[in-house]
Amino acid sequence: MAFGVSRFFEAMVPFLTGASINSMIEGDYDLTFYILGIIGAVILRYGVVTYARYSVRKVALNVAYDLRQHLYRCLQDQGSEFFSKHTIGDMMTRAVADISLIQRLIAMGTILVVILVYASLFGFAAMFYYSPTLTLLLLPPMPFVFWYAQHSSLHMGVASKNVQDRLSDMATHVEENLSGIRTIQAMVQEQNEIDRFANTNQHYADAFYKQSRVNSAMEAWMPTLASVCSLTILGYGGYQVLDGSMALGDFVAFFMFVRMVVQPFRVAGMIVNLFQRAAVASDRLHDVFDLEPEIHDNPHASAPSMISGKIVLKNLSYQYPDSQAKVLHNISLDICKGETIAIMGRVGAGKTTLLKQLVRLIDPAPGSIYIDDIDVRNYPLAQLRVQVAMVPQDPFLFAQPLKDNLTYDDPNRTLDEIWQAVASADLKSTIESFPDQLNTLVGERGVTLSGGQKQRATLARGFIRHAPVLILDDCFSAVDTETEEHILSELKRLRQHQTTILVSHRVSTTRHADRIIVLDEGQILEMGSHDDLVVAGGYYAELERVQREGAEDEAFAQARGSR
Amino acid sequence: MQPNTPKRDYAMFDADISGAVLNLSLLRRLLHWLKPYKMSLFISGILVLVASTLQVLLPMIISLLAIDHILRGTADADTADFGLIELNTWLAQSLGWHPLLAACLLYGVVQIVSAVTGHAHRMTLIGAVIKGLRDLRLDLFTHLETRPSSFYDRVAVGRVMTRVVNDVEALFELLRGLGALIGEFVPFFVALTVMFAIDAELTLILLLALPILGLATYYFRSLTRHLFRQVRQTLSALNQNLQENLAGLQVVQLSDRQTYNLDRYTQINKNNRDYELRSARVETFYGSFTDSLSHAAIGVIIWYAAGQVADLSMTLGEMVLFTQFIGMLFHPVVVLGEQTNILFRAMASGERIFQAMDWDEKIHEPHTPVKLPARLAGEVRFNQVNFSYDVGTAVLKDVSFTIAPGEKLAIVGPTGSGKSTLIRLLSRFYDFADDQIYLDGIDLNHIHSHDLRRRVGVVLQDFHIFSGSIYDNIALGNPGISMDRAIQAAKTVNADAFIQNLPRGYDTTLTERGNNLSQGQRQLLAFARVLAADPEILVLDEATANIDTETELLIQEALLRLTEGRTSILIAHRLQTIQEADRVLVLQDGKVAEIGTHQELLDLRGLYYTLHNLQFQDYDN
Repeated sequence: MAFGVSRFFEAMVPFLTGASINSMIEGDYDLTFYILGIIGAVILRYGVVTYARYSVRKVALNVAYDLRQHLYRCLQDQGSEFFSKHTIGDMMTRAVADISLIQRLIAMGTILVVILVYASLFGFAAMFYYSPTLTLLLLPPMPFVFWYAQHSSLHMGVASKNVQDRLSDMATHVEENLSGIRTIQAMVQEQNEIDRFANTNQHYADAFYKQSRVNSAMEAWMPTLASVCSLTILGYGGYQVLDGSMALGDFVAFFMFVRMVVQPFRVAGMIVNLFQRAAVASDRLHDVFDLEPEIHDNPHASAPSMISGKIVLKNLSYQYPDSQAKVLHNISLDICKGETIAIMGRVGAGKTTLLKQLVRLIDPAPGSIYIDDIDVRNYPLAQLRVQVAMVPQDPFLFAQPLKDNLTYDDPNRTLDEIWQAVASADLKSTIESFPDQLNTLVGERGVTLSGGQKQRATLARGFIRHAPVLILDDCFSAVDTETEEHILSELKRLRQHQTTILVSHRVSTTRHADRIIVLDEGQILEMGSHDDLVVAGGYYAELERVQREGAEDEAFAQARGSR
Repeated sequence: MQPNTPKRDYAMFDADISGAVLNLSLLRRLLHWLKPYKMSLFISGILVLVASTLQVLLPMIISLLAIDHILRGTADADTADFGLIELNTWLAQSLGWHPLLAACLLYGVVQIVSAVTGHAHRMTLIGAVIKGLRDLRLDLFTHLETRPSSFYDRVAVGRVMTRVVNDVEALFELLRGLGALIGEFVPFFVALTVMFAIDAELTLILLLALPILGLATYYFRSLTRHLFRQVRQTLSALNQNLQENLAGLQVVQLSDRQTYNLDRYTQINKNNRDYELRSARVETFYGSFTDSLSHAAIGVIIWYAAGQVADLSMTLGEMVLFTQFIGMLFHPVVVLGEQTNILFRAMASGERIFQAMDWDEKIHEPHTPVKLPARLAGEVRFNQVNFSYDVGTAVLKDVSFTIAPGEKLAIVGPTGSGKSTLIRLLSRFYDFADDQIYLDGIDLNHIHSHDLRRRVGVVLQDFHIFSGSIYDNIALGNPGISMDRAIQAAKTVNADAFIQNLPRGYDTTLTERGNNLSQGQRQLLAFARVLAADPEILVLDEATANIDTETELLIQEALLRLTEGRTSILIAHRLQTIQEADRVLVLQDGKVAEIGTHQELLDLRGLYYTLHNLQFQDYDN
């Protein structure tokens, strides 16, 4: 509505201009009324238009805010199944580009559509009032202006995307090149690499040039196309003026009205594209909004507030949704309170799948996992995960101070607790060597930790929780044997009476466990204590021998024979 | 040659440069890269003058020619019309058309020619500057690519990368802005000239509006600069938060942090919206101010002209012409306001770029390098090597030992004992004093680092894959390595089997990070690469990563073949590798603690014995 009012005031300017010219021609040079009218219209329009634009932008910003909140909430409940189908980069694009597209559509799109409607309405109405024939003559070029604007904004989109792609190619190229700079220099590959970069660089320059060309062409041809209207006014309108059927002031006002009408048409083409792209963006967002939480939570189910740590697996099988074969087959196992269990097995044997079901990162079938005789599915998620602490395989640290990383589950932990956990994970001297100690920022903008240090930090994050059940999924792979020895003895000391389950490839780790389980293709191949299994002479015994003796010629032959 | 390393302030690379001042010397340096394209720039300059003049002619055709001359016949003979009226009269006569029709033709032609020359101007300008910036970027990359390891030890890769990508990008953006400014200001001055010629007084009155507009623009910019920065910062905090939350979602869920994290996100999201709203308010205020001002100017023109037209000192057409010039007069100021931020950002970027270009850290090369024989015997001698990265903290202390041609030496020692430094010096990645390391009796400092590195094959822990095919990665652009030789090398080091299993064999394209290869396969490929190059000396920093037992066996076998008859220095982590070596050197705190055969050192019951037992203690009891 406000936009309509403002267009009305805008139309007043050419109208009054034309009127004052006519008045001058008639010899009346007292134009106070007209001039005050123009100034008044300008001021009123300024107020109304500012208010209207601000309101629209406010709506757009609020919509973007709500979309972000909603997206964040939806994504938080997703799990491994979701991330096997979507990448984080894809989600970031939706959160950043798609939402901003919708925001722009509302902020710019609505304004422009309204302007288009009202400008045409008032502009054409005024022109029609002056001269119906001339107005009708002006109509035919309009669709072309519209079409050309849409066409070139499509081209623009393609060209801009190309520039972005080439730029990100270049960023990848430079980053990977510089991270391998030592090898490059050791192999005397500098010149080859520079030549290769010249190529990437050229591609970018080409893309940029192309984009500029599309841009420049539009800048050249759009006014040319619009000038067809001016030509019509000049020719036909001029003829009418000569002929006396049109006042000169009206003739001048026509030029001004045409500018008012053509302007929105030029952008209208872009709006159509914006609408189309925003529609796609909205679909992509709704894909995420429509998702159900992957793991269904019963926040109000009743469960013991403190579990003892007894775990029972009953015929546990698992098959990933999109896969043909089962990962786990009928695994049954009783784990007593306070027991330490080690799990071994090849990559793909189902170790991680088993562990993830204990904390319901993926959901087990009903009736297959019991903790303290209650089906894990009947625990509220929060309660389950607080008591069954899992340290995942990938040592993930947030780009935050070390302290916040170590107390991620509960920011209120005391410094004492932190240092104890850190000492148990053999990370104390490392942290003490940092100038900022526990406040050291981790990650790209802070200290980059080595793989082993990261693993120890995540171990400390596990230790600090003193949970009735602790699960360590291959958390020693990047830690050297000596350090591992220390951590394992701490583990023994701290968790004497609590249940611990750990996965490892090293016999040096597993030998400390009460029981070792060898998984193979989703089934329990061997189970027993270290000594029992070595005596039994199966897969574990063989592994123990190879790791102990190192590889000898005989092992070579066997390994190759078994392939 | 004595290493003389001036103290360098690497923190410079981390510092923020704001570029708050207009730095002219910076611009002058930038011009250096445009020099090769000055002809294009010159042509572009002529074209923009032509295009702008034509653009100014268009409103003149309507006002002076059509309104004053044709429609009212009151054209003022004194008014500068660039011969428009005469041209039109001649055109109408020679075509036998009505003058109005001739004016239409003139208008159309001028519009088209102006569009074409404008387009040509922009493209020549952009073309030249793009080429200049392209060259600048390549020069910058070349410079950085040839900086020594000591540089990359201290400066994060991300920082260096930003210079090549983002900072040069800021200059590209500056170019876009520059194009826009030229396209606005040249017509501005042409129009101004015409206006002065017609009515100096009115022109001056209208020019009074420019300071108002300029002030408003300046005020608006300074208000929004701060707000925009806040908007950007909160937005990137928002994205970073989301990204990190997604990447660590498993940890988030396992730690039951969803609610807490959502609260934090909400807080940032709110902050962002508040800043956005505030900047929207300022923007809308300013946005309609500029077009309102030009509408108001029309009122001023009419008010002024009414008096003039009455006493015949101004024609109606001239008045109309002024109203049409308003846009050309005001718009450049607005565009200038838009471009200042970009200009300052580009200043800061330029400073960062030249700072990197001026970074002259490099490895010392001999004035007259020794020419190496076609084949070296491969004797390596360390003669009381002392070395430190920083003054004061010695990494290697009096390290002396000799490796006979073809001998295999394993180096062991705790982390930080100086093992890696030892092999880095051998490839001359760092400068060190003369008379310390000899290759076949030649002081390393007398050999050009490139010649040296061709003779010393290095396999580092972080194996770098170059994008290209497997074959490219083995041959590394060496024309002497044919496909056959590459396959032969791969076969020898047990890499052939997995390569043959890849979809396109040796032609399979690898991505730079080698995501399509496993750790073990990458190690084997690295072996093949070194074997194909056939260097006299082999240096291996054994990978510590966990590799499955089967591949491990393949690697051990490959290593045996690789080191056969080749002087080899192995930083060993696996017992197997150590036992295969002829001798073992134990390094501790930068000093040679023990050296001898495996058995000799065991018998010594010293450090090696302890290290050895430590690794074995699990199995011995």
